[in-house]
Amino acid sequence: MAPVELRQVRKAYGALEVIHGVSLSIEDGQFIALVGPSGCGKSTLLRMIAGLEEISAGDVIIGDGVVNDLTPRERNIAMVFQSYALYPHMTVAENMGFNLRLAGTPKPAIAERVNEAARMLDLTALLDRKPAQLSGGQRQRVAMGRAIVRNPAVFLFDEPLSNLDAKLRVQMRSEIKTLHQKVGTTSIYVTHDQIEAMTLADRIVVLNQGRVEQEGTPMDLYRKPANLFVAAFIGSPAMNLLDGTVDGDGGEAAARLADRTAIRIAPDRKVTRGQAIKIGLRPEHLSPGQGGTTLSGQTLLVEPTGAQTHIVFDLAGHPVTAIVDGEYPARYGARFDANIPADQVHVFDRESGIAL
Amino acid sequence: MTEISASAPIDAASAPTSGQRVRTGTQIYMYVSLLLVAAIVVVPLLSTALGGFKTLGELRGNPFGLPSEWQWANYTDIILSKRYWLQMSNSLIIALLTVFLTLAFGAMAAFCFAHIRFFGSSYLLNYFLIGLMFPAATAILPLYIRIRDLGLIDTYWGVVLPQVAFGLGMSIMLFRNYFRNLPQELFDAAFVDGCGYMRFFWHITLPLSRPIIATVGIISFVSSWNNYIVPLIMLNSDSLYPWPLGIMIYRGEFSTEWQLVLAFITLTILPTIIAFFLAQKHIIAGLTAGAVKS
Amino acid sequence: MSEMLISTNVVTAGSALSVPRRRKRSLAHSKWPVLILFLPPALLLFTVLVILPMGEAGWYSFYNWNGYGSPTQWIGLRNYQLIFRNGAFTQALINNGLIVVVSVCVQIPLALWLASMVASRIKGALFFRLIFFLPYVLADVAAGMIWRFVYDGDFGLVAGISHFLGVEAPFWLADRDMAMYAILGVVVWKYFGFHMMLFIAGLQSIDKSVLEAADIDGATGFQKFRLVTLPLLGSTVRLSVFFGVVGSLQLFDMIMPLTGGGPSNSTQTMVTFLYNFGVTRMQIGFGSAVGVVLFVLCVTLAFSYKRVFMRHD
Repeated sequence: MAPVELRQVRKAYGALEVIHGVSLSIEDGQFIALVGPSGCGKSTLLRMIAGLEEISAGDVIIGDGVVNDLTPRERNIAMVFQSYALYPHMTVAENMGFNLRLAGTPKPAIAERVNEAARMLDLTALLDRKPAQLSGGQRQRVAMGRAIVRNPAVFLFDEPLSNLDAKLRVQMRSEIKTLHQKVGTTSIYVTHDQIEAMTLADRIVVLNQGRVEQEGTPMDLYRKPANLFVAAFIGSPAMNLLDGTVDGDGGEAAARLADRTAIRIAPDRKVTRGQAIKIGLRPEHLSPGQGGTTLSGQTLLVEPTGAQTHIVFDLAGHPVTAIVDGEYPARYGARFDANIPADQVHVFDRESGIAL
Repeated sequence: MTEISASAPIDAASAPTSGQRVRTGTQIYMYVSLLLVAAIVVVPLLSTALGGFKTLGELRGNPFGLPSEWQWANYTDIILSKRYWLQMSNSLIIALLTVFLTLAFGAMAAFCFAHIRFFGSSYLLNYFLIGLMFPAATAILPLYIRIRDLGLIDTYWGVVLPQVAFGLGMSIMLFRNYFRNLPQELFDAAFVDGCGYMRFFWHITLPLSRPIIATVGIISFVSSWNNYIVPLIMLNSDSLYPWPLGIMIYRGEFSTEWQLVLAFITLTILPTIIAFFLAQKHIIAGLTAGAVKS
Repeated sequence: MSEMLISTNVVTAGSALSVPRRRKRSLAHSKWPVLILFLPPALLLFTVLVILPMGEAGWYSFYNWNGYGSPTQWIGLRNYQLIFRNGAFTQALINNGLIVVVSVCVQIPLALWLASMVASRIKGALFFRLIFFLPYVLADVAAGMIWRFVYDGDFGLVAGISHFLGVEAPFWLADRDMAMYAILGVVVWKYFGFHMMLFIAGLQSIDKSVLEAADIDGATGFQKFRLVTLPLLGSTVRLSVFFGVVGSLQLFDMIMPLTGGGPSNSTQTMVTFLYNFGVTRMQIGFGSAVGVVLFVLCVTLAFSYKRVFMRHD
């Protein structure tokens, strides 16, 4: 186990820079998720930490040493790949023990460690099988077993659940979480799925176009997104974003939408009269009925999901999603009233996208 | 193109006349045609084998039918002769050496082209692929001079090395394409596990490459086993002759005794035929798929 | 496998400190030992025995040389003049062309016809495929020798058939007007199975639902074949033609036991011409010039094939 630190890490392919000076500090034993849309550089960053990609500039530090020039093996990391990358010609036990075998560990010691990891992951019965004879979830567990066996300083996960079906993904997600709580190894987890990141990680780093947009605990990111990108990325269904202009100031500040609808905003937002802003409203914060700021419009779409119903209604010419209780009598074409307290209204500068 | 083999599933999906029962009239027409063509293929082979059991006189009067009296001695004399076994073992030694070196050198070079980025790699690959474009016959005279200058005339190596050299283009091409289609993440996983390039080659690439090793191996074995022009140019001593040269010499010596020549031909092609029926699936797939891919 | 001295677990993150910083060592440097070990065997062998001889063929082709000592008698393009003035060479070119024509006009239709039968769901399809492919695995020399017997006017099958029909047995291989046609028969006999396999693979790669769509559209069996199957086999046909041409340019082993290029050069091919006029007479310069001509043909062919195929496939 070891802390991991990135200092101004850059990656360039020729003139094209894809990682623009990322700095991160990960404490020993922490579970950190790197999220972002595809092409944001999260996998590249992970591969640079792993030693599979060269670092163009900056330092990667694992433990107390700079590891820039070390091979993956010397960095003492383990990695779980998207496709699992199990060796098809080796049994489960051989796959899990391959690293130790390469390192010259005596056979009995390898067997002991493999058995221990297999017990932990419930793989004991499968040790003599080949990867082709395993189900998706079992392969996933073998891939994790391979990582555990070597007792590494850091676990790296590269979208490990994206090849599984929805149900299995939820199950494996909790297995990964349980595993981390058991072994407590520093973990870096790359995913494009913000729910995976929210549920698993102690801390989330949101990446976009090779830059860190924001880092913090899952709830930090949810409650106080630093900018429009993070606001739109975290939360599902996504935050509703509407153009507006600031009207009034101090405790009386409100956002005027295109149709003159006013939405009260909290007094601590640093806005000035006439400023062009974007208003962010989380669907789950728009509750039906009057109170706070009331927003009304015609219902455009009703999507029942069981416990909850998603209602899309028209607000100043924009579709806005609200989440209501499944019992709510929503009806297409009917008028829908929603209210939102001022402190739940997110305000961003329209130009810079920065939260105000 | 998909895998090609005689035993590829003959199912509805593959059949152009899928889903429809073939009518009886059509069936009769098909079987008559197929049997006719099969006869044209088989009759020369069968009469060769049977001819070896006849006397020269009977051959003249009755080339098709069964021998009236089976002349086993024609065959047993050859089987008991040293020259037959010598030629077979020469062919085998030359073929095995050729296969081994074609596989080893080809796979090693292809591994570099598939996994390592280095300056000029694409030019170097194209350089090797030039070898696919022309047969050994084209350069056979300078090749002879070179082998002579290397002191390898009339040795196994004088045959093996040119065969390997001219097989490398095919070998590198097939291996490289196969290696490149192995999942890239395996390479990353192995690297994380502590493999360098060498161990990756040995522990991961080779064990996963059995199908392509078989294909390249079969192609180079068959072409070496059947090769005529290279040993013809490079060998002088009867004692080193592989069987295709042996047939020609035998025919030269016994030109008036067809029955002996026929027995000799039969015995020399027998190993090929037996191997073909034992491993037909692999041989057909190897020879056709290999040809298509390169 | 060499045992590593350091166990992975000993190399914990802490020990990373003790490793001095060496720029770009991890990925860049470890590839050199592999390149230095893996590339040279192939490179050396290929250069010395394929590329250099081909280059030397070009060089020798300007000399009159019997192979002993070193080539000194520079004769410029004389060898090339001699080649193109040689009637046997012209005959060889014609014969090579004839083989291509037969391969396109006889062999490919035959192979396609047989493939369409044995790719369908009939009993014994596997057996027929095996039988038809068998001649392809036999050595050309053996096939040539077998057919020498078949064509033999005294002892062979042709003689037997003639006796049966009560006519005088022909000696086709000794007849300068017939010998090449006899050889073409053997070429088809030996190679049609290979082309048939190509077509079977081509037929199997055709999406079944396309043919069913044609059924729905009301195509008859023959229309379906001509309008759907055949166009979809285009790339296979081109491949088949290519192998036919390549095979023709290389044909040698089979001719030697059958006729050796005779009678009176009527069955020469490019390679038998090279052998008979260059190798057996130790005319290194002349033979090399023939090799160069053959090389130019092969390379032109390979490139034009590539262009045609790149465009369509």
